[in-house]
Amino acid sequence: MHVEFLAVPRRLAGTSQVEVQAETLGQLLTALAAQFPSLGEFIVLDRLHPSFIASLNGEQFVSDPQTALGEHDHVLILSADAGG
Amino acid sequence: MPFGYHGSYLRIDLSSGAAGSVPLSDSVLRQYIGGSGLGVKLLLDEGTAQLDPLAPAAPLIFAFSPLVGSPLTTSAKFAVVSKSPLSERINDSLASSGFAIAGKGCGCDAIVIVGRAPEFSVLVIDETGVRLESAAEFRGATCGATEAGIKARLGAHYRVASIGPAGENNVRYSTISHDGRHAGRGGSGAVLGAKNIKAIAISGTRRTRWAYPAELTALSKSLSKKSFGPATAKYRELGTATNLLTFNRFGALPTRNFQSGTFEEAVNLSPEQLGAVRSKTRKSCMACTIGCEHIYSNGESNVRVEYESLFALGSLCGVGDADAVLRASQRCDELGMDTISTGGTIAFAMECVERGWLDEPWLTFGSSEALLRAIEWIGAREGLGNLLAEGSRRAALAIGHNSISIAPQVKGLEIPGYEPRALQTMALGFAVGARGADHNRSGAYEVDFSDKVDRRHVTLDAVRLAIETEDKAALMDSLIICKFLRGVFEDFHAETAEMLHYVTGWDITADELRETAQRIVAAKRQFNVLAGWTPTEDTLPERFLNTPLSSDPEAVLSRHRLDDLVTEYHRQRGW
Repeated sequence: MHVEFLAVPRRLAGTSQVEVQAETLGQLLTALAAQFPSLGEFIVLDRLHPSFIASLNGEQFVSDPQTALGEHDHVLILSADAGG
Repeated sequence: MPFGYHGSYLRIDLSSGAAGSVPLSDSVLRQYIGGSGLGVKLLLDEGTAQLDPLAPAAPLIFAFSPLVGSPLTTSAKFAVVSKSPLSERINDSLASSGFAIAGKGCGCDAIVIVGRAPEFSVLVIDETGVRLESAAEFRGATCGATEAGIKARLGAHYRVASIGPAGENNVRYSTISHDGRHAGRGGSGAVLGAKNIKAIAISGTRRTRWAYPAELTALSKSLSKKSFGPATAKYRELGTATNLLTFNRFGALPTRNFQSGTFEEAVNLSPEQLGAVRSKTRKSCMACTIGCEHIYSNGESNVRVEYESLFALGSLCGVGDADAVLRASQRCDELGMDTISTGGTIAFAMECVERGWLDEPWLTFGSSEALLRAIEWIGAREGLGNLLAEGSRRAALAIGHNSISIAPQVKGLEIPGYEPRALQTMALGFAVGARGADHNRSGAYEVDFSDKVDRRHVTLDAVRLAIETEDKAALMDSLIICKFLRGVFEDFHAETAEMLHYVTGWDITADELRETAQRIVAAKRQFNVLAGWTPTEDTLPERFLNTPLSSDPEAVLSRHRLDDLVTEYHRQRGW
């Protein structure tokens, strides 16, 4: 599926998007931690640090590592704190 | 008297010249802590809720906190509390840095100012007492020039809070500025200006003792260490400006007076783009380890960039020219005007022009020149600026055509950069906010950016969560600690209770702090009720109700749903 980084995750990953193969959110995060070591501090096992959050297709925010992902899903990884 | 406090406040009557210390009981301090809470309590005690906020007798209160002067990171803060000339409801604005430490160093926990100085003056408070000095040479000066000029006159150790030309001209959303930051929302600058005071200069070195200094020092070190970690990375790495592209991606970036939730030129204003062509530095408030201020240089001047300024003066006005938006933000800082209300009021006027309700053809969405001209005119109350200086609600009532339905405000306070239809828990937070639509008094957007709700279809379950963020904000604003720290706490109430215990010696619990937060929120509402609040004020403008967001058809908030949320909010509050 397609992964898009925003805010601090984008800065740390050094790219705005990447394609990843995964069946669950947990698998996706594990793969991202391996591909982008700079994200390591923010991915603990198969979960995001509370300061990051994931959105599925820009519609719902998800945190359960067992969340099923489809081939055509679009996952956004962003800073959780929206304070201005 | 508990540790951490002086146990009194300084009351100054500018009309009579009288100044004296008034005792504060342990009970009041424990019930309201400091900052916003203590300020609201003192304002209620003054019994002036029905007065015109610009009348001489209307109080303006600077409230410090037990944590000020401690080694706790971000604790150098003060609250400015008054009745708002913009909303005619409660207003509590916060600012940071040395003024808080020097103010508390004068030997008081708050300063209550009433009356009106006979001449245009600087109010000086130092070890020799309280006095007025002429401010004639600073008439019309910017906030920064005033601060520098007064320090040159009195000494560099004085800390200065000042108003710009906008405050002198009673612009209803003018600020009080200190060290480049502002007690920004609600028009406290106009209240100070109405008292014929250009600035307050303070010097004081009196310290309070802490109950458990060794434990407090250890806790402070631990908190500082956490403040360098991932929970504050956003503020440190990119600053609040990084919200811009995120909100745009989620269709929540208010654009062209809330006609859309996406802005096609958003990338121009993003910190990534700003930083690509400009040099950038970071700055911290005094006693802060986060360093959230990102300052960009265009070679001629330095501009502090925040998300709210970029949104309000950028996408909300349809302006994607980064240089113009930075210049606009800088001019608001210099003139002493709240960028959110400035941008909101100008964007509202632009739409009125677009609809043919206002005959000012130069004032069009996307025009950098119009934006900058309007800011100058507002600060000087020239031409159309005299109307726009009143804020969007009063301007709408003057313009007619039911333009109040598109005025982007709640209780008169312009809405910050969170599209309510796309973030509906925040919509509730805006609707019920005691000082009007405000993201600093309700953090309900946190709920929308979580897996706890469906942000475009919220249910009554969101109400409790919205209340929790409002209570937490009230507590942080009274302790006072910076909201950018909130992510570092694993158990916020238990950890802040420990913090307060080490400073004051109080055997205080997390549950007591939860009750304190509710008491402070209730006190704000009590002030509003005394000032004439009615339940019909707890709503959003017609634009946001029933009509889908043009950029996202799923983002629609029915009047019925908002009414249900507000009713449930009142029920859970026991109001």
